[in-house]
Formats: sequence, C-alpha cells, structure tokens
Amino acid sequence: MRPALWAVRTRALELLGRVEHRSLGPVRAAEARRFAEAAGETDPRLLDPARPDFQLHPMYLVSLLRGPGHPRPGELRPDGMYRDEVPGTDGLDVLLMAGGQDLTWHRPLRPDEYVEQTRELVSVRCKGRAPTQFLVLEVAKRWSTAGHGVVVEATETFLVR
Amino acid sequence: MSAPAELPPVRYTPDQAALQRFGASTRNPHRIHYDAGFARAQGLAGPVVMAQLHGCLLFRAAAEWAGDPGRVVSLGWRNRAPSGPGAELTVSGHATPAGPGLVRLDLLETGPDGAAHCVGYAVVRTG
Repeated sequence: MRPALWAVRTRALELLGRVEHRSLGPVRAAEARRFAEAAGETDPRLLDPARPDFQLHPMYLVSLLRGPGHPRPGELRPDGMYRDEVPGTDGLDVLLMAGGQDLTWHRPLRPDEYVEQTRELVSVRCKGRAPTQFLVLEVAKRWSTAGHGVVVEATETFLVR
Repeated sequence: MSAPAELPPVRYTPDQAALQRFGASTRNPHRIHYDAGFARAQGLAGPVVMAQLHGCLLFRAAAEWAGDPGRVVSLGWRNRAPSGPGAELTVSGHATPAGPGLVRLDLLETGPDGAAHCVGYAVVRTG
C-alpha cells in the first residue's frame, strides 16, 4: 500500500466511532428553491415557496456541506474541498471520489428550522491489490433539529486512492 | 400498485451554469466541478457533475412516480462513472412491491451513450 494511503488508513482507524457535530443553521425556503432549480427540478411544490403545499427539497439538507458563511482561511484543501470532509485525508497526496449514499427520511424539514448534523466514521476497508489498492470509508450522518428530532439519516461512501 | 411498473424516463442536462449554481447553493467549493484545467490534471475529462446532483435526479424520478416528494422514504445510489456538463442524463427504472404500502424502485441513470453513471433504488409510500 502506498505510504499516503497507509497514512489515511492509520488516521481513519483512530477516528472510528468519534462523533463530530456541525451546525448548518436555519434552512431557508429561498435557498432550497435555488437548489431545486439548479438540480433541474420541475415539481412546483419544490420550486414555489408561495404555494401552501411548498416543501423544502428533501435532497437539499443532505447536499449541504456547510452552514451559511464563507470558508475560513485554511479551511480548504488546494483542490477547494473542505479539509475535514473526508476523514483522515487532510494534507495527503490521495485522490478522493464519492462512492454513493443511502438516505432515509424520517420527517419533512420545515422552513427556518435550525439544523444540527452529526458525522461518524463507521468503517474503513481496504479493497483491491497493489498497485491499485484503495480505501472505502463509510461515514454515518444524521440531521436533526432541537425541537423535533431526526429529519434524515445517511451513510455516505468515499473512495480514497 | 396502480402506478405503472416501468418508470417514465426523467431527463436533465446540467450545464456548467447549473453546476455553478448547484455548487453555490450547497456550499461545495470543490474545483473538480468548475475548474476544467484542474479537473483534467486529476485525470478527468473536465468538470464533473456533483454526486448529489445525480442523487437529485434519482430522487425526482422516484417522487414523480410516487406523485409527491414527501412519499420518498429512502433513496440510495452508487456512482459508476463521472459525467460532465452538457451531457443529458436519463433516469429509468421499474417498480416492485416492497411490503404494505411501500414500493421499491430500482433506478438507473445513463448518459447519452447509454453508459451507466449511477445505479440506485428508492422506497416510496403509495399513499
């Protein structure tokens, strides 16, 4: 295994089970509308906040990487991604790819609810054989609000080469 | 299960402007989505569509079949190959019963050449 990949594996194993918390702030209807437009959505219930049956696009919350505001100095890697987005990879010469996601919704999110996210690295697996070995990292995420509990849960897979 | 077993195709062609807007709305600054030179240096053909945007198209196929976005209970997908701006993406699929009041939708997203970009599934409530 390449030294950089081995370093990711070592770091990731140390991070297993550690729960991180992030605040995503209040989720606004206008922002969810812009998201739906960019995603090519056609359902007016996801596009028009003035409708009585408007819904925040369920994919918006799980697609948000951060809350409002610009990245702080030093918060991004040279490739533009947040340093802590893929556990154990900060500063290492590795290629990252999104492998997939599994999402389960528990209830709809209402406009202006204040959302907290938890993240936990739940598995680290080596796949393939040298020189094409890679790591598969699975991160469990949960989005919830203070008053109304869990909105959606996800498991996201990252491939590290 | 009164809705058709085969899903009507759902199509979207995200252009570079759509990727910029999607990246801005999700606060995703990763350069592989908007910096062609950087993307090519990473071994890609050019900027690539965000994984979550692919997920949105799968979600839309499931929600349209179910008749209401709120009826989508779960959704999952695996990325198979990157796609770039300007390429039409098409989601097709078929439905099978998955228990009382639930239907499983097996989903496939393909590009203009028919190659798979994502394979996925959704579970939706029927009422």
